[in-house]
Amino acid sequence: MPNEREITLLKEFAPQIEHTTFIQAIWMFFLAAIVALGFYALYVQIAYGHIVTGMRDNVVWGIYIVNFIFFMGVSYAGALISGTLHLFRAEWRKPINRIAEFITIIALLIGPCYILLCIGRLDRLYYLVIFGRIQSPITWDVIAISTDIFGCLIFLYLALLRDIAAIRDFQAIRIPKWKRKLYTWLALGYTGTTEQRERLHKATDIMAAMVIAIAVIVYSVLAWIFSVTLQPGWHSTIFGPYFVIAAVFSGCGVMIVVMWLFRKLYHLEKYITRKHFVNVGVLMLILAALFGYFTFSDYLTKWYGSERNDELLINLLFDEYYWLFILSNYVGVLLPMVVVGIKKLRTINNITISAVIVILALWVNRYLIVVPTLESPYLPIQDSRPDWLFYNSTWVEWALTAAGVAFFALAFTIGSKFIPIINVSEMADSSELEEEEILI
Amino acid sequence: MLNQHISRPMNKFTLAALFWLISVPMIISPALSAQEETETEKVEPLDTYLSFLATYTSNDTVVLTANLYIRNGRVRVDLQNAPISFTLSGNDEQMKAGEAFTDSTGKAQVMIPTSSLPRNKEGMVTYMADFTGTDNYVSSSETFMSKPARLEVSFYEEDSVKFIRVTGFQFSSDGEAEPISDETILLFVPSLFRPMPIGEVWLEQDGSGSMEFPLTLVGDSLGNLTVIAQIDEHDSFGYVKGEATCGWAIPKHLQSQDKPTRQLWTPVAPIWMMITLIILLAGVWGHYIYAVVELVKIKKSAKKEAVQEKD
Amino acid sequence: MKEESDNNPKKSSRRDFLKKSLVAGAGVVATGGLVEAYLDTRAAETGEKVKVLTTGGEIVEVDKGHIKYPRVSREESREGIPGKKFVMVIDLARCKNARACVENCQKGHHLPKGQEFMKVYLLQDTENTAPYWFPKPCFHCDNPLCVSVCPVGATYKRSDGIVLIDNERCIGCKFCITGCPYSSRVFAWRHYEEFDEDTQPYSPEAGSPGVEGTVSKCDFCPDLIRVGKLPYCVASCPMGVIYFGDIDEDVVTNGTETYQFSKLIRDRAGYRYLEVLGTRPSVYYLPPVERQFPVDRGFDGLDEEVEKRYESTPYVKKQRRK
Repeated sequence: MPNEREITLLKEFAPQIEHTTFIQAIWMFFLAAIVALGFYALYVQIAYGHIVTGMRDNVVWGIYIVNFIFFMGVSYAGALISGTLHLFRAEWRKPINRIAEFITIIALLIGPCYILLCIGRLDRLYYLVIFGRIQSPITWDVIAISTDIFGCLIFLYLALLRDIAAIRDFQAIRIPKWKRKLYTWLALGYTGTTEQRERLHKATDIMAAMVIAIAVIVYSVLAWIFSVTLQPGWHSTIFGPYFVIAAVFSGCGVMIVVMWLFRKLYHLEKYITRKHFVNVGVLMLILAALFGYFTFSDYLTKWYGSERNDELLINLLFDEYYWLFILSNYVGVLLPMVVVGIKKLRTINNITISAVIVILALWVNRYLIVVPTLESPYLPIQDSRPDWLFYNSTWVEWALTAAGVAFFALAFTIGSKFIPIINVSEMADSSELEEEEILI
Repeated sequence: MLNQHISRPMNKFTLAALFWLISVPMIISPALSAQEETETEKVEPLDTYLSFLATYTSNDTVVLTANLYIRNGRVRVDLQNAPISFTLSGNDEQMKAGEAFTDSTGKAQVMIPTSSLPRNKEGMVTYMADFTGTDNYVSSSETFMSKPARLEVSFYEEDSVKFIRVTGFQFSSDGEAEPISDETILLFVPSLFRPMPIGEVWLEQDGSGSMEFPLTLVGDSLGNLTVIAQIDEHDSFGYVKGEATCGWAIPKHLQSQDKPTRQLWTPVAPIWMMITLIILLAGVWGHYIYAVVELVKIKKSAKKEAVQEKD
Repeated sequence: MKEESDNNPKKSSRRDFLKKSLVAGAGVVATGGLVEAYLDTRAAETGEKVKVLTTGGEIVEVDKGHIKYPRVSREESREGIPGKKFVMVIDLARCKNARACVENCQKGHHLPKGQEFMKVYLLQDTENTAPYWFPKPCFHCDNPLCVSVCPVGATYKRSDGIVLIDNERCIGCKFCITGCPYSSRVFAWRHYEEFDEDTQPYSPEAGSPGVEGTVSKCDFCPDLIRVGKLPYCVASCPMGVIYFGDIDEDVVTNGTETYQFSKLIRDRAGYRYLEVLGTRPSVYYLPPVERQFPVDRGFDGLDEEVEKRYESTPYVKKQRRK
C-alpha cells in the first residue's frame, strides 16, 4: 500500500499518466513523422543497396557509426549517473534518477540499430552468433552490448518495481483497465514488506555496481574496435579511457536537456530545481575538463611526434575541418566550464544551452575521430574515383540520424506516460527535513 | 535437218532464240540465288598457321609437336579438334608418322622412336605436318629438316666440388654416334610454372662440357633435383632435350607446415583470450542471475503473503 | 550481335563471323592470359548458347558456361594448395602504368570499373626522391590484420599463404577494410551487371561472381594456379613487371623470365612495403633503380577517367603548378 507521501506525489503526477495534452499529441505526431521518414530512408537503402549512402571504399564507416558511438555513449552516462549516485546514496539525485535510467535504456536500444544499418548483409546477421570469432573486437562488442542491454533492463526493472506497485495500488488514478492489469503483472505482487524491500535493495545495489562496470567495459570495447587497427589517428593507446570520458560527458549534456524539457512540459519546477541543474552542471564541468585533457593529450602527442601520417591527419583536420574542430574541442570544452564555473552565469537556461552545445560538440568530435582518419590512410587515395576522396553524406544517412533522435524523444515521451518521470517511491522515502530542503 | 522438222509458225531463228532465252536464265538464276544464299553463310575461309617442331629426348624418342592457330588482329586463337597428319621422309620415300587431333590448347603431339627415322644422305630427316583444311579454314602445312641428336646429363664430384656434365651426340645416317662440339647448351631446373635457367655449358671437341653445380638450388624434401639440358632452334638439330636427377639440392622446407594454430588470425583463438572471456562473462552474468533470483524470491514471498492473508 | 546477323543477313560481315569463329575455338584456351581473358568476355556477350564452328565445318551449339578453370567448393578453398607458399615480386624499375594488369584482373574476375583489385599508385616518398609507379595487389600478409578482425571468419589465411574471402559468409561489416593498412579491399556497394557475366558457381578461389554487400580483394588467382597458369596480372604485363612463384621452391617467374627468388631479392635489394607495420606481406618490391622509362610515360594513352584519378597526387599537382 502506498504511504501518505507517495499518495501525495502520485496525486500530483497522475495527470501526466492519465491524459495527453494537445501539445503533447502534436509533439508525438511530429516525432512519429520523422521516424516514418527514417523508415522510408531505410527502405531506400535496403532496396537500392548501400550505394545510396555516402560511404565508399575508403571512408567505409560514416555517420551510422558516429551515431552508434554517440548513442552508446549517452547510454553509458545514464548508467553512470543512476548507478553511481545510487551507490553513493546521494539524496539530490532522487528526482532525476528516473530520467537517467530511461536515458540509459532508450539510448542503448537505439545505438545498435545504427550498426545494423552499416552492415552489408543483414540477412546474415545471425552469423555473428553461430560463426563468431573470439579474436575479433566486433565479437567482443556483440557480447558486451547484449550483456549491457540485459543488465540495464534488469536494473531499470528493479528501479521501476516500487513505483509500479504504487500505481497499481493507487485507486484515485484514472487509468484504463489494461494498464492496471499490466502494472499488476509487472509488480510481481510487491507489497512493500521488509523482507521484500531488503531483497530489492540488495539486488539494486548489486546491479548498480554491475551496470557501472559493464558500461565501462562496453565502451572500452567499442573504443578498442578503433584502436586495435593500424589506421593513423585510431591507433592510439588512450582511446579506451578517452571514449569513456567523452561518453559520460555527452550523457551529462543529454541529461540536462531532458531535465529541462520535462521540467517545462510537466511543470516540475518544484522537484527539478536549479540545484539539480547546477549539480549535473558541475559534473559536466569536471568531465569537460577531463575530456579537454584527454583530447589535448592525444593531439599533442600526435602533433609533437609529427610522424608522417599523424601529420597528414592533423593537417587534414585543420584544413578541411577547421571550424568543426574548433567547435568540438575548444567550444565544447570551454563553454560548459565557463558557464558553470562563473556563479553569475549559472542559470538553468544557460546551463541547458551549454548542454545543447556540448551534445553537438561531442557528436562532431565522434565524426572527427571516425571520418578524417579514413580519409588519410597509409596509401594515399589514388586510382579510384576523385569523388571518393572525401566523404559526402547523403540524405538517407541524415534522415536516419534524425529518425534516431526522434525515436529517442518519442520513446521518452511514451515512457513518461506509463511511469511518473520522477521516482515517487524514492522521493517518499526521504524524511520531512530533507523534503523541505528539496522544495527550495 | 532441223528445217524439215520445224512446224510452220516457228522458223529456226525463233527456235534458237527461244532456246537461249529459256535456258540461259535457267542456268544463271541458280547461280544468282546461290550467291545470295552464300552471302549469308559463306565467308572467306580463315588463314591458319601451323607451328611445328621436333624435340629429340634422351630416351631415344623424338616428340613431334604441332600447334594450329588463327590470328584475329594481334590476338592468337588456338584451334582444337583439328586433325594434323605427320609425315617423315629421308631420301625420297615418305613415311606416315601418325595423325593426332589438336587438344584444348591447340597442340597435337606424336612420339616416334629415333631408331625408326628415315634419313637422307647427310643424315637429316625431313619432317612434315599437315592440316588439310576445311570449308572454313585454309589448309596449312609446315616442314623442316633436322638431324637426330641426343643430350645426356650426368653428375660428378671432383676435389669435393660438385659438377654437372652434359654430353651431346649426333647420329649419322648409319646410326653411328658422333660427339657434338662447339655448341652452347642451356641448363634448367623445373619449377611450378616455368623451368628456371641455372646456367649454360660449352661442349668441347669430345662432345662434353661441365659446369659447377649451384649449391643454392632447392629441390624436393629430400634434396632431389632434376636438371634439364636443352638445345633450342639449332640449325641442324632443331630441339634436343635431356634430363637427369641428382640429390645435391637443398631439401625443400615447407613453410606451410609451420603454420601456427593459436594466433589472432587463426580459426582457433589463443588460450588466454578464451579464459579471460569466460571469467569476465561468468562474473557478470553470475551477478545478473543473482538479481533475477532475488526478484523471483520477491514474487514467491508476495504469493505466500497473499495466501496467508486469505487465511 | 547474334540476333543482328540472323535477322539481317546482308549485315553479316566477315567481322561478325570472325567473332563467332573466335568462340568457335569452342572454349578453346589459348596460351597467354591476354587471349583467355579476351575470349571470356566475348563468350559472355553472345548470350546463353553459343554457335561454334568446329574445324570439321559443322556448326554446333555450346553452352557459354563452358568451364575453363575448375572451381573448388567453399570448404575446400579454406585449405591451401598443399606444399606451396606463394610469393610475388614486383619490379618497380619496369612499371610504366600500362595497366594491363588492372584490366585483365577486372575481366578475369568480372569486376565493374571502380572496383579494382589491383591498383597502380603514383608514389613519391619524399620531395627529393623520384616518383614511381606502384602496382599494388593484396599483399596476403603473414600477419593479416584483416583476418584477425573479421567477426564471422569470412576471410581466412590458408596454408599456402593466400588470404581469401568467402562471400557467402561475409556480413559486410567492413571491419576488414579498416583493418587493412594498405587499402587493398573493396566493397560491392550495389549489384553490378558485370557480376552476371559469370555463370559458374561461386568459389572463393575465383573471387567471382561478386556478391552485393560483401567485401572482395585480390586473391592471387588460386583457380588459375591449380591448372598451372599464372595469375592474370602476372601473365598480362607487357613489361614483365610482376613475378610470381613458390617461396619454398625459391623460384619466381613472370611468364618469360624465371629467377631464383632469394637471389633476385638479394641482388636487387628487394623489400616489403611498410615493413614496419608488422604485417609481414608476401609481396616484395624491387626498387626503381635504373628505370626503363621516365615516369611521364605512365600517362601515355590513358583513359580520361583514369587520368583524372591521378590529379590529386603531389607529382601531378607540382607539374600543374609549373
